[in-house]
Amino acid sequence: MIPIKYNIRSLSVRWVTTLLTIIAIAIVVFASILTFGMIEGIDNAFKSSGDADDLIVMRNGSSDEMSSTIAPEVARDLLTVEGVATDSDGEPLVAREFVTIMISSRRGKDATANVIVRGTEKASRTLRPAFKIIEGRDLEPGVNELIASKKMAERFEGAGLGEVTEINNVDFKVVGLFEAGGSAAESEVWADLRDLTAAQRIEGAVSVVNLRVPDEEKRLALIDRIKGDEQFKLDALPEETYFGNLQSSSSTALKVIAYIIAFFLTIGAMFAASNTMYAAVASRGREIGTLRALGFSRRTVLISFVCESLVICLLGGLLGCLMTVPLNGLTGGTQGSTFSEVTFSFSFGPKVLAQGMILALAMGLIGGLFPALRAIRLQVVNALRQR
Amino acid sequence: MSEANNDPVVVVKDVCKEYRKNDNVLTVLHNMNLELSAGDYVSLMGPSGSGKSTLLNLIAGLDKPTSGSVFVCGQDLAKTSQSALAKWRSRHVGFIFQMYNLIPVLTAYENVELPLTLTPLKKSQRAQQVKTALEIVGLGDRMDHYPRQLSGGQEQRVSIARAIATDPTLIVADEPTGDLDAKSGNEILELMERLNSEFGKTIIMVTHDPRAAARAKRNLNLLDGRLVSDSEVQKAEHST
Ligand SMILES: Nc1ncnc2c1ncn2[C@@H]1O[C@H](COP(=O)(O)OP(=O)(O)O)[C@@H](O)[C@H]1O
Ligand SMILES: [Mg+2]
Repeated sequence: MIPIKYNIRSLSVRWVTTLLTIIAIAIVVFASILTFGMIEGIDNAFKSSGDADDLIVMRNGSSDEMSSTIAPEVARDLLTVEGVATDSDGEPLVAREFVTIMISSRRGKDATANVIVRGTEKASRTLRPAFKIIEGRDLEPGVNELIASKKMAERFEGAGLGEVTEINNVDFKVVGLFEAGGSAAESEVWADLRDLTAAQRIEGAVSVVNLRVPDEEKRLALIDRIKGDEQFKLDALPEETYFGNLQSSSSTALKVIAYIIAFFLTIGAMFAASNTMYAAVASRGREIGTLRALGFSRRTVLISFVCESLVICLLGGLLGCLMTVPLNGLTGGTQGSTFSEVTFSFSFGPKVLAQGMILALAMGLIGGLFPALRAIRLQVVNALRQR
Repeated sequence: MSEANNDPVVVVKDVCKEYRKNDNVLTVLHNMNLELSAGDYVSLMGPSGSGKSTLLNLIAGLDKPTSGSVFVCGQDLAKTSQSALAKWRSRHVGFIFQMYNLIPVLTAYENVELPLTLTPLKKSQRAQQVKTALEIVGLGDRMDHYPRQLSGGQEQRVSIARAIATDPTLIVADEPTGDLDAKSGNEILELMERLNSEFGKTIIMVTHDPRAAARAKRNLNLLDGRLVSDSEVQKAEHST
C-alpha cells in the first residue's frame, strides 16, 4: 500500500486546483442533496399522512376526496359502526369531512394557487398524526372560524393568524395555527364541517368519512362490508393506500426530473475530478516510474491514484453536506394531483446526506479511474524517462 | 555479510534488445553475454545511446530482453510475470537514479521507509532500518527534511539510503554522480565503495566519468550495444 499521506500531500501541493475541484464537487453535491431533500420532503408529506389503523371512506370510483360525496344519512350510519376506537373522552374516532378548494394569493407574490379547505369534526384532529395547535386556539364551531397550518399561514394571504378570508361571500376568521407531523393536513386550512357546508349552501354535505379501527380483523370486515354494499356505492381504503396513490401520481414526474438533473450534474463533476487527476498524473510520470521500480505493482499504483481522487471528492461531498446545514427547516410548496398546494419541509436527514456522499464517492471512483489507468499504462522504463 | 558461494549473482545470456517503432527495428543490445559475481562492483561506460541504461534496466528487472535470458539471484527474469517482477525487485534490487527520484512530498525518513512498506516488517522494525540506513549515509540528523530542503548530494544520499534499506543483494546505479558537483559526487562514490566493501553489496553503476569508473573493481565498455572491453581495475591495496 502506498501511504495515503503521499496522496494528501500531493493534493495540498497543488492546493489551488485541489480547492477549486473540491468546491465544484461540493456545489454539485449540495444541489443534489437539495433535490433529494425536496423529494424526501414530499414523500414525507404523504407518508406521515397515512396511519395503518385509519380508514378513509369515499364514493366508489373517486380518486381523491374532492370528487367524493357521501349521502348525509349514509355518513351518519358510519358514526356507529362496530370496532371504532374512542378518544380519551370516550367519543368515537369517526369524522365526517367536507373538502373544497379556494383560490388564494401567495404572500409577497403576484400569483394564486388552490388551497384545500376542509370542514372538520372534533375527531378529525385526533385522526391526524401529531396534530397540535401551536399558536392561537382551536376553532369554535358555529361562528365561522378557521385554523390554518403554520406553513399555509406563511405562504398564503388570509391564512395568517387573525386574518379574515371570504369563502363564498362569508367571512371566516383564522383563530389558530396548527402542525400535523408534516402530514398532508399541513397543506390545508380547516373549518367546522357545518360552518363550511353552510357557507357553500350545501348544508350537511360530506365528502369523506375518516375512522380509526385498531383491530385488524374488524377493520378488514368493515372494508368488505362497505365495499360490498350495493346501495352505499362506497369504497373504504386504508389511509396508507390512499396517500400512497396520491403521492405516486403527484411526485413521480418531479422525482424523475430531479434524478435526471442530479445525474447530469454528477457527470459534470466527474469530469472536473477527472481533469484534475489527469493533470496530476501527467505531472508525476517519473514519480510513478520510481514507485513501480521500487516494487509497487500496477494495481497498487492504480488504487493509490483512485484514492487520491476519492479524497478530493469526499472532501467536496462533506463540504456540500455542510452547505445544507443553514437550510434545515426550509419549506417549499408544490402542486399536488388535485392541483392544490402541497407544502413540505426539505429533509436533510441521514438518508439524503448519504445519497449525496454516495454521489461524491461515485464521482471519485469513476472520475479517478481513467486517469489512474493512464498512470499505469506506461512501461516502467518509459515512465522513468519522463521529465 | 558478503555471499559465501561463488555462483554468479547476474548472468546475462545471449541477450538481444530491440525497440520497434512502426516498421523500424532498432537493435540496442546485440547478443550480450555477461556475468557478475557476488561482491562485484562494476562500472559500465560507453557513449550516449550505446545501450548502458537498457542493459542496466534488464538486469534490474525493469524491462525484458527481446531474446536471450537474464538470471539475477537465481531468478529467470525474462520468464517472470510483471507483477512477480515488481515483488522481486522490492526484495533484491536497490535503485540509485541520476536525478535521485525522491518523492518530493515525503520526508527523507518517509522516502527511505517507502520500499520497506512492501516488506512484512512491523512499523518499529521499519523505523530501525530506516534510521540505520540514514545513519550509514550520514543523514541521521536530516530525517524530517523534505527533498527540496536538501542539497543535490544529500538527496542522492537519501536515495542511497532508500536503496539499501531493504538490504538488497544487487544495487543498480544509473549515472549516480551525473547531476552532482565534483565534491558531492566524490562523497557518493565513497559511499558506494563502502556499500561494496563493508556491506558486500554487488553493484553495477553506469557512468560517464572515468574517475568514477576507476573507483569500481571492474570496468565494462559498451559501444553500439556490444561489449567492447571488460577489465579488472588495477588498484593499490589500501588495506590488508
Ligand atoms: N523505450 C524506448 N523506445 C525506443 N527506443 C529506446 C527506448 N529506450 C531506449 N531507446 C533507444 O535505445 C538506445 C539506447 O538507449 P540507452 O540504453 O538509454 O542508452 P544510454 O543509457 O547508453 O545512453 C538509444 O538510441 C535510445 O534512443
Ligand atoms: Mg542512460
